[in-house]
Amino acid sequence: MVDHSAWLAIFLPWGAALTLAGERLFHPVWHEAKEKTVGKISFAATLGALLVLLLLDVKAVLFGPSGALHSGEWFGAGTYTVPLGLMLDGLGLSLATLMAWISLLTIRFSIPYMHRESGFLRFFMILNLFIGAMQLIVLAGNALLVFVGWELAGVSSFLLIGYAFERNTATKNANRALITNRFGDAGFLFGIFAAFTWCGGVDWRQIARAAPQVETMGATLVGLGFLCAALAKSGQIPFSSWIARAMDGPTPSSAIFYGSLMVHAGVILTLRLEPMLQQTPSLLTAIAAIGFVTALYGWITAQGQSDVKSSLIFATISQIGLMFLWCGLGWFTLAAWHLGLHASFRAWQFLHAPSLMDDLDRPAPPAPRWLTRWQRLHTALLQRFWLEHLGDAMIVAPTMKLAADMRLLEHRAITPLAGLPAHANAISTLAQWQEQQTGAIPASGYAVDRSTGVAGKMIQGLASILYSFEENMILKGGGAGLMEVLQLVGKRLILIDHLLSQPRYLILMIALTFVIIL
Amino acid sequence: MNPMDKLPLISLLLVMFPLSALFIWRARNSCQIRRIALITVILELLVSLIILLGFDARVPGFQWVETHAWIPSIPIFYRVGVDGLSVWFLPLNALLFLGTILSSWNRVTTMPRLYYTLLLLLKTVTYGIFSALDTILFFFFWELALIPVYFLVSLWGVGPHRRYAAVQYTLLMIASGIPMLMAFVLLAVDHAHLVHGQGLTFSLPDLLATPASKPFQTLLFFLLLASLAPKLPMVPLHVWLPTMAREGPVVVLAIMTGLKLGAYAILRFLIPLAPLAMREYHWLLTGLGTAGLLYGAFLALSQTNLLTLLAYASISHVGLVLLGLAAMNLSGLQGAIFQLINFSLITSGLFFLTGFIQHRTQSTEAVNLGGLARRMPMLTALYLLLGLASMGIPGTSGFPAEFLLLMGILDAHTGVGLAALATMILGAGYFLNLFRKCFFGPALSETDGILEDLTKRELGVVLTLASVVILLGIFPHLLLDQLSATAASWLQHIQTNQP
Repeated sequence: MVDHSAWLAIFLPWGAALTLAGERLFHPVWHEAKEKTVGKISFAATLGALLVLLLLDVKAVLFGPSGALHSGEWFGAGTYTVPLGLMLDGLGLSLATLMAWISLLTIRFSIPYMHRESGFLRFFMILNLFIGAMQLIVLAGNALLVFVGWELAGVSSFLLIGYAFERNTATKNANRALITNRFGDAGFLFGIFAAFTWCGGVDWRQIARAAPQVETMGATLVGLGFLCAALAKSGQIPFSSWIARAMDGPTPSSAIFYGSLMVHAGVILTLRLEPMLQQTPSLLTAIAAIGFVTALYGWITAQGQSDVKSSLIFATISQIGLMFLWCGLGWFTLAAWHLGLHASFRAWQFLHAPSLMDDLDRPAPPAPRWLTRWQRLHTALLQRFWLEHLGDAMIVAPTMKLAADMRLLEHRAITPLAGLPAHANAISTLAQWQEQQTGAIPASGYAVDRSTGVAGKMIQGLASILYSFEENMILKGGGAGLMEVLQLVGKRLILIDHLLSQPRYLILMIALTFVIIL
Repeated sequence: MNPMDKLPLISLLLVMFPLSALFIWRARNSCQIRRIALITVILELLVSLIILLGFDARVPGFQWVETHAWIPSIPIFYRVGVDGLSVWFLPLNALLFLGTILSSWNRVTTMPRLYYTLLLLLKTVTYGIFSALDTILFFFFWELALIPVYFLVSLWGVGPHRRYAAVQYTLLMIASGIPMLMAFVLLAVDHAHLVHGQGLTFSLPDLLATPASKPFQTLLFFLLLASLAPKLPMVPLHVWLPTMAREGPVVVLAIMTGLKLGAYAILRFLIPLAPLAMREYHWLLTGLGTAGLLYGAFLALSQTNLLTLLAYASISHVGLVLLGLAAMNLSGLQGAIFQLINFSLITSGLFFLTGFIQHRTQSTEAVNLGGLARRMPMLTALYLLLGLASMGIPGTSGFPAEFLLLMGILDAHTGVGLAALATMILGAGYFLNLFRKCFFGPALSETDGILEDLTKRELGVVLTLASVVILLGIFPHLLLDQLSATAASWLQHIQTNQP
């Protein structure tokens, strides 16, 4: 029964987020005195979560970890059912406690830090949503519940990167972060599907139990799907570019999201997948290689960054690369330890970043001497090895081009064929007007009674044929025209009849009939 | 069997129209008119909720069935009823019309009598479409829907080419109605040959019980597909939708695009009436679904107008639902129906919100908007919430629906499933891109004075939809439980059917 209280660690922060949303909805007028209440609610919720987790920790230390907890079924159809369950093992509980602790410190830090910010309430609402989501990622007993936390953490990260929504760079970066993460999400869903297909369910225990029997192909597909998600969320190569852009959010959110908690989600997922990954040496090698390359990339790029937060984030990426390297080498326990230590240290460092300048009492350190000698390398570092440009050139640009081509197809081919008014004809932008002038979009101008499109033209053709029939045959001379034609046809028919009565044509006809029949 | 089953509640929903129309035409001022309309819709919402609550989900098959002779000589019956697939659509329909009436509350000033009468007529007709169990009765409602739509769009539309859009839409729909009527008549004749001594029948349960021969089913399949393709809309017959979205009255469009009647007709008539043909040609539906899914998503990516974005997004959504139906497995089917209901809520909610923006700024183009978030935080928050729901973020009803759909599709056609996963990324792209342009960034000076956040009435409309979205997102079994028995028997009918 005590175990079920673990749900509180997730739902207390979410409840706080909901309370704040309700407060905003029903009492929209903001005044500064509310800051205290908002801070108290958030603090109390996370404190509650931490206390519950500590209680469970004590229980686990005294009586041994209780392992999996099953509390029913969420929803399902056919063979795809989603159980509601938690994983209260050593890994889950210890990480959850650590995360609750870091979250609590961040909230405490944020209350004065965000003082008199216009989005004070919004910030704490999103922070609470995120804390609950993060707890769910760590504690969830099956892959789908992890996915729920995964997505909500992604959305709250989007909202916080775009916190200053009047700055265009901030919102652009927010969009970029969420869309890059969607690649990982697609991989995650594929992994879930593969787990259903090859392991018969998404429960972590079930996956672990099924792992030894799963054929290599199945294990690889399961691993590949989840791995794609893990790499995207943890900002590993080739997905690293979004995370540097994510630094646009307020500092406490950078600390909690990218310094200490959310970036580790990928490693947590990899740790959960350990039994499955053990079956696929090739995937482990790939993880090790990616981790190693990212670690190198992060380290060297951090040398050339010109602001504190960026160099910190690249240092973080490189540490996480190391964790992936440990996982790839099979040292999952080392990775878990590394994760915990790194999270605590990095949270402190990020929260410290704003006051770093004061402490040092001197400007940010210049790039190391050896780096200045390699001008090209320095440029490459500042550009972060053009990873982002590469992604733009390889994925974003072709997609947008394809979209533009489709739009042309729509306007040039499908709309005229269907004979419907080109909706884009209603010009609303100068750019569209220019396009129309150059002929990229057909010019407007149509009437209700004009026939357009294939169907319209066909009907028009039919109508004109019927009209000429009416005009020439029936109306002209009171039907005399028709009589003339009929007489002509009659004469022709008589001629054909006459010809057919001759044997050679009769035989020809019979032969033709046979050809057609056969 | 529930004891209330004998009550003619569905007929009550249908006959409320002439009564309320009578009151509306005797009302003195526009205030009274809209109150009458509002009361009618609220009553209907209650009645349809009673139908939903009284529905016994364990029993597959039709409930609340009423049968009366209509044209006995042919014999066409007035036969209505609901099953697990359609029962949720009744309260949904009432909810959307409630939203429409409240959204056009004091904004429709020209000919309010006619406006509300047509709106109520459209609502009655959609009730008819969702509950008709006689093919000819269904066809009657299907075509009758054109009249209110034509007048609503051509008289209360906002675009300069609204008449054109209305005429073209009506012509297209009339033309596509012909194969449907042909299919239903041929089906009745064929049934008369198949079952001796029974004569013609248009009753859906009877027709389902005795499937036609395979070649005939193929004919039926293609006739119905041809007639439903424009309504869905399927690429390349979708062109009317973006046009209507731009020209028509936004609050009416919330219903037209929100309620995916074409997809419902495929679910109710096309597939069950031609199960053998469906088993043979499911690849065709899969192909058309994929085409719509990708085409809609790519075109949505290049839109600069909130309304056309919603239109193309809706084409993409219909493609996804079609894929789920063509997957012919339980999760695909339940996901598809869930997604239909989900998109009804989300799309119409987004249309309502866009309508509120249009009412304030007279534009839905990204260049004329921008920086709305500062002035209208509540509208922005709700827009984002519904947009995230359309992306399938957990916590909203989009998630269970999309999850079941994707699993079903991946199971049936893994390659197509991968395309659907890719559309997930595109979906985030097209929504967030335009959302950012319209709502974020510095506020434009020309819109500065006229923007005010949602009024209480507007907030009520959207908040109701949003809370249903969240409720179904957290407790998806509320809906799935109602569905599962019927879905299982539907699927069994398709998979085990022999002529």
